[in-house]
Amino acid sequence: MIDPGARRTAAQCRHYAMCKIDYLGTGVCASGPEKGFVAYYPQGRMDLYRALADGLVPVTEGLVDAAESCTLCGICDLQCHFVTGMRPVAVMRALKSFVRKHLDDGKPVQAPAADPVLERLRAIAGPAWATNDPAILFTYADDPFPLAGPRMPRFAVLPGSREEVAAIVSLAAELDIPYAVRGNGGSVFGFVFTDGIVLDMGRMRRIDFDVDNWCVSVGPGVTSFELQREAARRGFRVNAAEPAATVCGNIVCTGTFSPWSNVYGTASDGFVDMEFVGRDGKIFRLNDKSAPNVYAFEHAVIPSPGVCTEAVVKLHPVTADEEAVLVPFEEFGEAVAFARDLSARRIALALAVLGGHYVSTFMSPSESLSEKLKDVLPGVLGIRYLVLAVVDAHGRAAIDRMAASVIDGALFRTLMLGLPRLADGELVELVRAYEGNRAPFEFLCSPGMRTLLETALSPSPGTIAGSVDEDLRDAYARLYARPGMTDMVWLTAFRIVSARMSRRKHMFAFLVYVPLDRMEIIDDIIAGFARIAEAHGIDHDYGFLTPMDFGKRAILEYDYYIDHADPAERRKIAGAMVEAVPWMDGLAASTKGVTFLQQVFSQGCSRKENFLYRPGPFPAREGG
Amino acid sequence: MSAPATRFLLTGGTGFLGSHLAVALLLKGHEVSLLARSLKNRPARDRVSALLDWFGLPEESRRGLRVVEGDVTRPGLGMAPGPLEELLLQTDGIIHCASDTSFSARKRAEVEAVNLGGLSNVLEAAAAGRASFFHLVSTAFVAGVAQGRCAEEPAEPAAFFNVYEETKCLGERMAMAACREAGMRLAIYRPSIVYGDSRTGRSLLFNALYSPVRAVLFLRDLYEKEIRERGGRKAAEAGVRVEPDGRIRLPLRIGASPGGGVNLIPVDYFTEAFLAVLEGAPDGGIFHIVNDRVTTIEELVGHTSGFLRLTGIRACAPGDFAAAPRNAIEALFESYVEPYLPYIRDTRRFDAANARPLLEKRGVRCPGFSYDVFERCMSFAVECGWRSPLP
Repeated sequence: MIDPGARRTAAQCRHYAMCKIDYLGTGVCASGPEKGFVAYYPQGRMDLYRALADGLVPVTEGLVDAAESCTLCGICDLQCHFVTGMRPVAVMRALKSFVRKHLDDGKPVQAPAADPVLERLRAIAGPAWATNDPAILFTYADDPFPLAGPRMPRFAVLPGSREEVAAIVSLAAELDIPYAVRGNGGSVFGFVFTDGIVLDMGRMRRIDFDVDNWCVSVGPGVTSFELQREAARRGFRVNAAEPAATVCGNIVCTGTFSPWSNVYGTASDGFVDMEFVGRDGKIFRLNDKSAPNVYAFEHAVIPSPGVCTEAVVKLHPVTADEEAVLVPFEEFGEAVAFARDLSARRIALALAVLGGHYVSTFMSPSESLSEKLKDVLPGVLGIRYLVLAVVDAHGRAAIDRMAASVIDGALFRTLMLGLPRLADGELVELVRAYEGNRAPFEFLCSPGMRTLLETALSPSPGTIAGSVDEDLRDAYARLYARPGMTDMVWLTAFRIVSARMSRRKHMFAFLVYVPLDRMEIIDDIIAGFARIAEAHGIDHDYGFLTPMDFGKRAILEYDYYIDHADPAERRKIAGAMVEAVPWMDGLAASTKGVTFLQQVFSQGCSRKENFLYRPGPFPAREGG
Repeated sequence: MSAPATRFLLTGGTGFLGSHLAVALLLKGHEVSLLARSLKNRPARDRVSALLDWFGLPEESRRGLRVVEGDVTRPGLGMAPGPLEELLLQTDGIIHCASDTSFSARKRAEVEAVNLGGLSNVLEAAAAGRASFFHLVSTAFVAGVAQGRCAEEPAEPAAFFNVYEETKCLGERMAMAACREAGMRLAIYRPSIVYGDSRTGRSLLFNALYSPVRAVLFLRDLYEKEIRERGGRKAAEAGVRVEPDGRIRLPLRIGASPGGGVNLIPVDYFTEAFLAVLEGAPDGGIFHIVNDRVTTIEELVGHTSGFLRLTGIRACAPGDFAAAPRNAIEALFESYVEPYLPYIRDTRRFDAANARPLLEKRGVRCPGFSYDVFERCMSFAVECGWRSPLP
């Protein structure tokens, strides 16, 4: 009955929720927006099949409905393959077959138990938007986060307005039922599970622009991708998180950071105002004089201000001459110094130091191509680090003067669309034998090489599509024919390839704010993460670094990779954390400018200055 | 004449020149302790065994071989004190062939680690042991940036073309000082550019002479494929076309210097010459192992055009590029072969007053670099995909 291959695929779902947003312009699974609950999206059905296979849920009415609402349209295959390389349609098919046979065999289908609390929740949100069906609930019980096990909620509810949120929170307070708020996708820190009520904010998707005030009001169900798309349509840009992350959730949890944080900042820099439902069920806005002071920051784990029901997000201008460039480096220190210089001189908009492996993964539509490229970029071309910079024409001219080699938009497009030939061709073998004094990438990036590269790589949507499964090639060719797919500015704004970091294995990210003028501290932190990972047999790699606040500080990501479906791998992370947490706490306590993102959790509305800087102690003032 | 020593410690024995020397010494009945590293989970013994299989060295000729696990870049050659002492007690002569032949300034640290650090470690071991003779494989290009006659004397150039030349020159000085202090005889062998076996075309390494030919082959294949598979628009833009006789026209000018050329010797000649000096110069000295006749760029262009079935390549005066700037093909080619340009346009002339009588006495002559030799060597390179044929 259970297809082992489909079960394996289902267990590998990363909960990145990319199947819940229309990031490829294919539309999304039709039943998802209609029914709302995660179970009606491919992500939820993957969980349901895993749960059935492992005997974690019975066949319930909700499960049958979720399975039968899938039309096997195939949209999720392309969506999921684009970031994870997985093909979920096989799981959808297996789930539907399982349910069909179950019904054909006349086996029982469990109806949800009657529950007076559920009735009250339905009275608030509407009968269709609250459930206690165990299968539907299971899709809110678990994440790939390796440090928390499944936790089944009693209810899942999708409120449609702030008043409904307030009523639900009041009910929870009245009945002393815990609750947790879920935005979209998975949780970085595993803090979104409860055995009480899950509030899924997916119905509250309102986006209202106030262009005169350079801001946009966003409901808590709106994702970063959707907001960026709407902003772009109007000629603006926002500082966006990963595409499937909800805007409000992201701000509340950690504050939004991205390569754009170089100029747009993070935390309270990102919004004009926010609205919350407090734990007492009362609605307040941050601009209220009587509102809690969430702009302050405390080095402690503290609860969020409440359930966010609206964020008024800042809009930023876009100029017509923007372009993105990549500046390659062999040494990390050189790349960081260059990025810091750009930030201090106010040259770049978006800015990040990316690892060669990171970029290989982003650029490659398949894991096998990515693995080859990981050898080619650092190994052959000497590109171990790349500084990504979105700049205007003035910034571009400055970078051309400052950098030995620049991969501009046109060259990036050539490399990206010709990637399979770059990874496999004789060109790389020729460069491998290059004996000149310049770094191989300088040779490759020289202006004289452009036409030769185009001839050698034959860049086209068809060429890059040749690196994926044969039946997906036409779809990929159509996809890569779109300008945005090879436009680094677009890709940096919409961040649709960042989820590819989890393609090979689930990614466990450490994020830390660091003093950018203290390279030795940054090196020590990276070495510390690497040492702990090695000691516990965990795959690991540098992620990225983005300068902030004119190059005074930066946010650094270091990543561990684990197979979250393998208990042994989960134990490795648990073991590593026993070592990592005291080390991180000690480092943060003793080093000015070092703050781990875990310490910012649920304080994402605070002023960034309050966690980036810890002034003093200053000498006592003279006199009284 | 018998060899001045019969028990040799050989470094660099898994490299291009060192492996040829190892085989030649074993065939002559010498005992060779070959210092080698384990690499990529392959024990040194397996590496050496595969190497000797490639040479087709009969088992009976391997009796004099002892593979010693070690690393010249590490103090004490990476060996425990006891085994090192034992090895040195059984060594009459040391042949130091280990070298990093990279020209790139980016690889300075690695090149220095081998060519200076490694040599220093071997000299230190030599001084501690019983060896009475140190044989240093160097290069004719320790002459550095120079013109005209370069003598078989200690070199003291004002500048070098690359880090390889520089470290080899410093290495010679280091060896001279160390041998003088330890009372060891020293022979310095200075080959010019060594390519494959002139008789068979076989080689283990495809850099130097091979690199420009490989670059031209790449360009030919690139445009030929574009013409045959994608209509040839890019080829036409670059001025590349198929001639009526099927050859490819590749518009490529290569800057030559008047009277310049490349000094090339095949590895079989190097090996014979080395043995002739080893056995014929009991007091050591400095010996150029070079070709009396340089190969001109015109000759190389002719060989390459014939071998790759090309037209359009020609040698030109450097001033030509001022009149007509480099096209994309020329820009790529020149960037790619830039490290080799001093050797292609070489006007240095290597005097061989010390080596010549020893070679003539043995009847050792450097074969000419004919088209046939070129074709044999390049065919072998293509057959190997320009990679070492060893596993």
